[in-house]
Amino acid sequence: MAFKDHRDFFEVLEREGELARITQEVDWDLEVGAIGRRTYEMEGPCLLFENIKDYPKGFRISNGTTGTWSRVALSMGLPRKAPVREIYQAYEKGLEKKIPPRIIKKENAPCKENVMIGDQIDLYRFPSPMIHEGDGGRYIGTWDLVVTKDPETGWTNWGMYRFMVHTKDWLTGWPQSTSQLAFTFNERYRPKNQPMPVALVIGTDPISHILATAPLRLQESEAEYSGGLRGEPIELVPCETIDLLVPAHAEIVIEGELMPDKIAPDGPFGEYPGYRSGTMCQGVAVKVKAVTYRSNPILTMIALGTPPDDSSIAASLTAAVSMKRGLLNRKIPVTDVYVPPEGVTHLIIVGVKKGGTETARRVLDYFTARRIMTNKHIVVDEDVDVFNMAEVLHAFATKCHPGRGIAYEWYEGRSNSLTPFYSPAERDRLKGVSVVFDSTWPPEWPAEIIPIKASFKTIYSKEVQEKVIKNWGKYGLK
Amino acid sequence: MRRLYCCGGYDMGKEWQTFVRKFEDMKEGEVKLFIKDLTPGPRKYDTKFVKALVKKSKQAPPDSDLLLIRSESGDMAPETWSIKIQEELPPWVPGRPWEDLFKAIEKDQA
Repeated sequence: MAFKDHRDFFEVLEREGELARITQEVDWDLEVGAIGRRTYEMEGPCLLFENIKDYPKGFRISNGTTGTWSRVALSMGLPRKAPVREIYQAYEKGLEKKIPPRIIKKENAPCKENVMIGDQIDLYRFPSPMIHEGDGGRYIGTWDLVVTKDPETGWTNWGMYRFMVHTKDWLTGWPQSTSQLAFTFNERYRPKNQPMPVALVIGTDPISHILATAPLRLQESEAEYSGGLRGEPIELVPCETIDLLVPAHAEIVIEGELMPDKIAPDGPFGEYPGYRSGTMCQGVAVKVKAVTYRSNPILTMIALGTPPDDSSIAASLTAAVSMKRGLLNRKIPVTDVYVPPEGVTHLIIVGVKKGGTETARRVLDYFTARRIMTNKHIVVDEDVDVFNMAEVLHAFATKCHPGRGIAYEWYEGRSNSLTPFYSPAERDRLKGVSVVFDSTWPPEWPAEIIPIKASFKTIYSKEVQEKVIKNWGKYGLK
Repeated sequence: MRRLYCCGGYDMGKEWQTFVRKFEDMKEGEVKLFIKDLTPGPRKYDTKFVKALVKKSKQAPPDSDLLLIRSESGDMAPETWSIKIQEELPPWVPGRPWEDLFKAIEKDQA
């Protein structure tokens, strides 16, 4: 069964004990963010705040829709306790099929129940939260889906970028300069000094939000993948004032134009790496032209910060599968890729069939070829379960030679400026460095000198293993 | 809640907030500044771009407002300032997105 929106997904979450409705009045100014943040850190439920100070009944905020693996599993129609590996496999398989979206009429689109255009626009109608103390402003766009289009090819891209309420009818935001949104703007709109249509979609179905975090290739359509993963086409509807299609069941759609010749400050903001570091900048300025929204709208929020949260979990899934595809396309003998949420996409685990210096170097080359969001890569042999961090750490500690097993690559103009350990000077120029830790046995070693792992499955014969397992109960062991 | 600050006993009106990279970047005098309105209510944190006279609080002129300073990491400056708004400007400045970054990279490569 495909979820059309957050509302039908929340019914399932509630049934599974994964949703808490908060009816006590809460303050959008820090309190909601603090509750959301603490709930993540306690691995608590998705939250639906139903009574927001200063705002009429019906205007709601949610936090943590897919902030745990259990809720991601439910969003994909899997059992709540599905292992992470199974979730990865289901997502990977789901990407094999694309289903084109279905365009519906405006009168049938729930996101058009209410419309504000021109002078009517007032972003303060929504309880945009001040999420962290000391943030640059109120972020209406955190768990969002931002739609842009290449006017020459017609390619529509979805991405997830933060957007802040600047005034009642202006947003500022900070898509990274290496993002696909920035690419489209710089290629198609900047040369002509034209504003770029942008739609900020809040609260569509959960799979589409997860897909908005996916580093798909240029010209690939998240909408088609959303259909494939959900098993049915996503319904889209034309915007009121700009030439874009948006999910028809979204809670809120903000239509605007990203200006080519105007900027305004954005940030700072407590970002996905888990720190508020160097995130104050000259942001993009978006003039809002229309806002459409459902009655009793839900503003989907993530109180971003230390992992795990929706961002680190979604990125773990989407980034890992994209990386695996990319590495395999380069004929690197990958068995699997895991992006531990605790590493906030700064740390990647790559399992390979054949290890060694050359393979490790090729892995590093792949991750530093173009836009770079990661910086540490541990390459392990295929007998290491990449999803088991205890096994990965053991391999790293015991097989990565400090002298010959570590390779670096420095670069400029392409690094991730949200990475906390970069200095302000490095951040200004997007200067960075990535490293690979070769935690594999050298392939040139003869088999007879490769150390045998002293584990039950590897240092005992099959007969001894079977005897022990068969008699386990007789030993009085559980 | 309005607070009384040391400025000859005057009540300092509205409260505003602004961000600087480092606290030492804030200078007294006539400036153009993006400021956030800290008046409680649903429009709190609304942004204005203003031409204003800013001074450290102890030298605040009468009928000026309070200005709080935060750094680029969101840290609050220990001392407060005063702001007397002279003119409200459009809420943006001329510029191209990511221009600061591209210029920094070009300069380094030159």
